[in-house]
Amino acid sequence: MTPAPGRGRTAPRRTEPVPHPVRSPRRRARYGNYALELVMIAVAVAFLFPVYALLTLSLKEPRQIAGSPLGLPAPPTAHNFTHAWSSASLGPALVNSALITTLSLLLLVVLGSTAGYFLARRARGLGYGLYILFLLGIVLPFQLGMIPLYELVDSLGWLGTYQGMVLFYTGIQLPFTVFLYTGFARALPADYAQAALIDGCDHRQAFTRIVFPLLRPITGTVIILNAVFVWNDFFTPLLYLGGSDRETVPVRVFSFVGQYVSDYGLVFAGLVLAALPVLVVFLLLQRYVIKGFAGGLKG
Amino acid sequence: MSRSLPQPEEIQPEGTPPGGTPARKTRPRETRVREIPPPNPRETRSGPRGRTRPGRDLTVPPWGFVVPALVVYAAVVLYPAVAGVAYAFTDWSGIGDASFVGLANFRALLDDRRTLDSVVNTLLLTVAVVVVQNVVGLLLALGVDAGIRSRALLRVIFFAPAVVSPVMVAFLWKYVYNPENGAGLNGVLGAVGLGGLRQDWLGDPSLALWSVAAMVVWQYAGYSMVIFLAGLQGVPAELHEAARIDGAGTWQRFRYVTWPLLAPALTVNLMLSTIGGLKLFDQVYAATNGGPGTASETLSTALFKEAFVYGKFGYSTAVALVLALFVAAVSLVQLRFLRAREVTA
Amino acid sequence: MTTSQGHQRRTGHDGATDHVGGAGQSRRGFLRAGGRIAVVAALPPALSACSGSSDTLRLVGVTDQQQPVEELLALYRESRPGESFTTSFAPTEQMQTVVRTQLAGGNAPAVHAVYPGSGSAMSMVELARAGLLTDLSAQPWTKNIPEAFGAAYRYEGHTYLYSAGSCLIGAIYNKKVFARAGVEPPATWTELLAVCARLRARGVVPIALGAQTPWVTQLISYALVPNAVYAHNARFDDDLAAGRTSFRDSGWADALDRYQELQRKGFFNDNPNGTTFEQQTAMVATGRAAMAVQVSAVLGVFRESAERPDDLAMFPFPGGDDPADLWIPAGIVVGLGVSVRARENARVADFIAFLGKQENIDRWASAVFAIPFRRDASTVVDPVLKAFLPIVDAGRAVPFMDQRWPNAEVQPAHFAAVQDLLAGETDVRGALGQMDDAYRRAS
Repeated sequence: MTPAPGRGRTAPRRTEPVPHPVRSPRRRARYGNYALELVMIAVAVAFLFPVYALLTLSLKEPRQIAGSPLGLPAPPTAHNFTHAWSSASLGPALVNSALITTLSLLLLVVLGSTAGYFLARRARGLGYGLYILFLLGIVLPFQLGMIPLYELVDSLGWLGTYQGMVLFYTGIQLPFTVFLYTGFARALPADYAQAALIDGCDHRQAFTRIVFPLLRPITGTVIILNAVFVWNDFFTPLLYLGGSDRETVPVRVFSFVGQYVSDYGLVFAGLVLAALPVLVVFLLLQRYVIKGFAGGLKG
Repeated sequence: MSRSLPQPEEIQPEGTPPGGTPARKTRPRETRVREIPPPNPRETRSGPRGRTRPGRDLTVPPWGFVVPALVVYAAVVLYPAVAGVAYAFTDWSGIGDASFVGLANFRALLDDRRTLDSVVNTLLLTVAVVVVQNVVGLLLALGVDAGIRSRALLRVIFFAPAVVSPVMVAFLWKYVYNPENGAGLNGVLGAVGLGGLRQDWLGDPSLALWSVAAMVVWQYAGYSMVIFLAGLQGVPAELHEAARIDGAGTWQRFRYVTWPLLAPALTVNLMLSTIGGLKLFDQVYAATNGGPGTASETLSTALFKEAFVYGKFGYSTAVALVLALFVAAVSLVQLRFLRAREVTA
Repeated sequence: MTTSQGHQRRTGHDGATDHVGGAGQSRRGFLRAGGRIAVVAALPPALSACSGSSDTLRLVGVTDQQQPVEELLALYRESRPGESFTTSFAPTEQMQTVVRTQLAGGNAPAVHAVYPGSGSAMSMVELARAGLLTDLSAQPWTKNIPEAFGAAYRYEGHTYLYSAGSCLIGAIYNKKVFARAGVEPPATWTELLAVCARLRARGVVPIALGAQTPWVTQLISYALVPNAVYAHNARFDDDLAAGRTSFRDSGWADALDRYQELQRKGFFNDNPNGTTFEQQTAMVATGRAAMAVQVSAVLGVFRESAERPDDLAMFPFPGGDDPADLWIPAGIVVGLGVSVRARENARVADFIAFLGKQENIDRWASAVFAIPFRRDASTVVDPVLKAFLPIVDAGRAVPFMDQRWPNAEVQPAHFAAVQDLLAGETDVRGALGQMDDAYRRAS
């Protein structure tokens, strides 16, 4: 264990000065850079082909799709977007999705970070056993507990409620969350917390003031990856919320998909509207997400 | 961090993607004042676990830290799963009465060609997805970690597919995989002079599984990229600088500096993609429904069909149990290996 | 372990149970007992808690029913303000999974989608046998169900299904393409082959086939089997059930031979296994293909994709060579059932009675291009379906074959068999062997 001297235990790294490193720009590197940039842009264009397909389909009427599914929409129509928005009442559904996702993420971060930190520090014996027990949750097929869980939520009277969904997502995503937090918390040195404890903080204070800020980067990863899952989940909200006024976005969008009748222009327009909020969150969280491991490894 | 990125004067050559691409990657990076070199990550990572100091470690938080999570996890996942296991020993159809049949479902599994064939498909699909998704994810991460101008936008582009619901991705890719000449991917191949590569992507029994794998890789390569990217941020620039001064080439710097320090990210990525691959359901079900014939049937789709299409819930639970044990065994072995590798890398 | 299992067996879980209501209880009892064996003794028996009941009545349907159900619910609310159902609709398999889970959890919706006859996990027979559906026989409209459709609506003499009528399988064709090639809708198999050859010579795909979408694979079999099988033996289903015949040794082999003949002669698009239902629709609607064998329920989708809706019409697909003795498939469309939990509920009974009024049967049927099971003077049938009416009225319409199959595995086996056949992975005997195996599998 090497403590990082020069770092005040009460001064989390975000407040540290960030000086420019002393480096010399190198011409050769810059040419290599342009070449790399071109390659990456080419790869991105290839990656975007299905996204192009998605957008162009969502801007077409059925007969335009039939004529040329992936050609440019001529003329493009916003009808699918307005129709998806109104006929599927996506507005209220977005509120439902946002509430359920936010509350679930809040609980996941609180429960996952504390548990992950605990399991990282107590990595032997019972602690290791618990870690493996949590890992088991990633492995289990959803069918296994589906019916008993439904009966449990029903017996709590939580069908058609937000709290039922929040409980479900918190529980079902905890293994994954604990897995990420534990992995990253292992790389945190114990010294910060130790110093805080010596200073008279209790464990809770040491965690909230010292450890959790250090875990912030992985928290970004946890939030975005869990948000993607919770936001997109279709089956569970259909099972628990179907028919109530709490239905989430995917449930509404899927109501356009039938065996015989599915208007994919409409479906994909709803899909674009559903994906936008998560993309925006990713943009905002990006810097945390990217720093995921940084906190740990540099400690 | 990305906010402070595009500062050309900070650009520093640093490593190269595996495979020895001559393109040099560079990374402007904030560095922090350090009075001593960064600690040996091996030592750091092993944490208190590595210490053999007897007695109680005061830094170990109390049990109250894990109990709330454990309670929720037990209520939502463990208890229902254990209660659900009971079905595996019944002939329950999913509705109505059930009789106890002992181990009959497990014995039936041994003679069930349909399910056993799906195991082979599941393994092929998992290996393909794990390898390709992680290689592509790593290359993307190395690419957008360099100091190129469009990095912030590129990251969003590569991650965007992961944001969309997997079922919808499958619906979308059916348009991409349209076998008609001039449509979808075949149309693009024709337009760029690669018409010879046109395929019946989802309809050819020998190709369908791989087409599904390609779709999954497209969706989740960005997901792997994000985790690798986080790992790359943890590679201290000083180490690269030191290695460069010592005369290490880009490949050597990647191999001996970056790669070992990516070990935790690799562990997470390999574990998640392996488990994800073995349990892959939505994409296969929505894209091919296991077809044509049973050419792309996986264990997950087979057991879903047993439970909700054929109405053999008891039997499907037995299959699910076997799947769970199998995935658990694979991941435990993998975890042990990867953790050991992290320490010795 | 063995003894405790034996004990479980004896404590009444394999005994015959009273069908109505008792089933769920006994399974829960089993689950609790099973759970004890599986080491959950310490956990509270949350399963025994009664399900939360509320005053809202839930209706869960498939997306394909959404239009008629919502239209009729709106009318229903007009006449009975304050009475309402909350509705949710989902794609077929998701609906099936949700409702089966809710049935298992003892919390079934008051009204939910039910498939006619047997042969699927959400079929009327399967659910009625488990005691999960309310007997609707007291409703007046049930008296008008024609005898030929009895197997779709009734189990052991009682009616458990509400469905507006039957949907037809035939050829949806593009009139312009036919006109350009100078051909008319064929009336016999021989004429059909000639028409296809002519179309193919003109560079048009004669028959679009979207076999990537599993349910589409079965349509050509279903269109051919009535002539190949039922025209000779109306009691084929009973013979099959009794083991007196098999798919392999019956007219099914002739039907699949003809299916293959169409492919061998190049009358399908290239790569049918990779072509989806949507692509099939587009091919016919835009004139890249001349026709598709389809259910009448999708006429609306085909028309939406066409330049002018009138470009598309439908004719009976001729599976035989005697135009005066043409047999066709006509299947009762997915309908609604009432959960046993709602059997005492007067509001639910009132709603079903409302759906059973002739004008509402007509409304539902016309929304899904079906022929009402009973027609009166006010009934309007879409003009493109007129050609089918004489055949239906002459009793030569055969229910979709799966509606009489004993378990839910035969239909998926049929899908897989047809895809294998189209891919050249098996032959007719092998394909039908797969179906026979699935048929004989215990349900």
